[in-house]
Amino acid sequence: MAPIIQTHHLTHRFADGTLALDAVSLDFNAGELTVIAGANGSGKTTLLRHLNGLLMAQSGDVRVCGRSVRDDPLAARQAVGMVFQDADSQIVGETVYDDTAFGPENLGLDREAIDRRVNQALSAVDLVGLENKRPHHLSGGQKRRLAIAGVLAMQPRVLLMDEPFSNLDFPATCRVLERILDLHRQGHTIIITTHDLEKVIAHARRLVVMAKGRVVSDGIPEAVVAGIAQYGIRPPCSVQLGKGIQPWVS
Amino acid sequence: MGELTAIGFIPGRSLLHRLDPRTKQMLLFLLGGLSLNAGVTFLGVVTLALGILGRSAGLSLGRTIAETRYFLYFLVFVFAVRAVSFSGGWIPSVSLPALVEAGMVCWRLLSVVLMGILLMASTRIAHIRAALVWFLRPIPGINPRMAATMVGLVVRFLPLILFQAREMSDAQRARCIDRRKNPLVRLRHFTIPLFRRVFLGADELAAAMQARCYSNDRTLPALAFGRIDAVALGVALLLAATVFIQ
Repeated sequence: MAPIIQTHHLTHRFADGTLALDAVSLDFNAGELTVIAGANGSGKTTLLRHLNGLLMAQSGDVRVCGRSVRDDPLAARQAVGMVFQDADSQIVGETVYDDTAFGPENLGLDREAIDRRVNQALSAVDLVGLENKRPHHLSGGQKRRLAIAGVLAMQPRVLLMDEPFSNLDFPATCRVLERILDLHRQGHTIIITTHDLEKVIAHARRLVVMAKGRVVSDGIPEAVVAGIAQYGIRPPCSVQLGKGIQPWVS
Repeated sequence: MGELTAIGFIPGRSLLHRLDPRTKQMLLFLLGGLSLNAGVTFLGVVTLALGILGRSAGLSLGRTIAETRYFLYFLVFVFAVRAVSFSGGWIPSVSLPALVEAGMVCWRLLSVVLMGILLMASTRIAHIRAALVWFLRPIPGINPRMAATMVGLVVRFLPLILFQAREMSDAQRARCIDRRKNPLVRLRHFTIPLFRRVFLGADELAAAMQARCYSNDRTLPALAFGRIDAVALGVALLLAATVFIQ
């Protein structure tokens, strides 16, 4: 089966001359849960923004479902939903309902279809009953789940999540992780970037490590995680204690 | 973020909630415009109506006063300026007609602001935007959807910017900015980081909207002008007639 997302020698340089991505070539298959790890400034977020069509390749190519993102960025954004690191910057609606409906409204769906999608998305992230609540009065974990719902309502084939556990306490992290794993079990392709492997690595079947804009390691987590500290990423506690990769939540 | 309490939409099923947003905006323009030149009778009826409608929409008097306190300080200033005169020297003088006139000016301004608060409290931003698109559509040279989106974003993010400003102010006070007596220095330390943060936030917001396929041809909420709207407009026109009763 052809990969759902392909990058080929993808290179991106910021206006100040910083090389953010340096000839990154990766394939992502449908149904996979992939973790992209790297220290701050390693290029993780820039890579995600290329996969979603928010940035365009300066050289190289990104293809989503076989089509070049440059040729049809709107199709890429529809197929690849992105959850931003800062949920507050992603939430645009006045209420939980309005925010979840934002994407389907942009797609020009009729009101009945929008309502159906909003209900499905909110129930997928356990936010049913909060439709009329103002997003900025939600807790950090609820905001993160609302951000996920806003993307799910567009029914993307791939979910990109940029540091989905940052700034969350333990219970909120557990709930967000459980929802992510539910979505993966339902067949979503999920790509998560993080510098904190602990929480999610046990559930991934692939770990990509980035440093200075390059892919420096790529494979099954058990094989990749051993030498990961040299790239500024803390190995999970269980690995440091010699117990291999253990799930963070039961 | 729990302290972010600027008055926004309060879900409910009150009379105001059930009115078409276009009706509410028309009432705001009509009654707000007339209030600016109205007498006691009109203002009294409007204030009474606003009180009843606000109460039924879930807006408490205490919260309204708390949220409009800075505007109320401004009204006190306006009242003082209008009521006190310095005719013929440095000694201030106050007369009963000046006090009455100052009170009327403040009452007029307050009633317009209360109308705006009631509109915000009883109408979703999405509906306000849809109504604006409807009003702007006949005007040539304006992209109504883009203009309405801009208005909607301003209304939506203004409380957030105010919250950020308050947070930044607290953070600077925690590092003893109060010891700097030069107001220009304090202003520079406050405004530059605030603007930087607002602009970065705006960039992120634009990216987030793009990521969710933002387009001008969005599905807007369905608006329905019903009998209740016709009755409300009729009552408002009757009310408008009282402005001429002095």
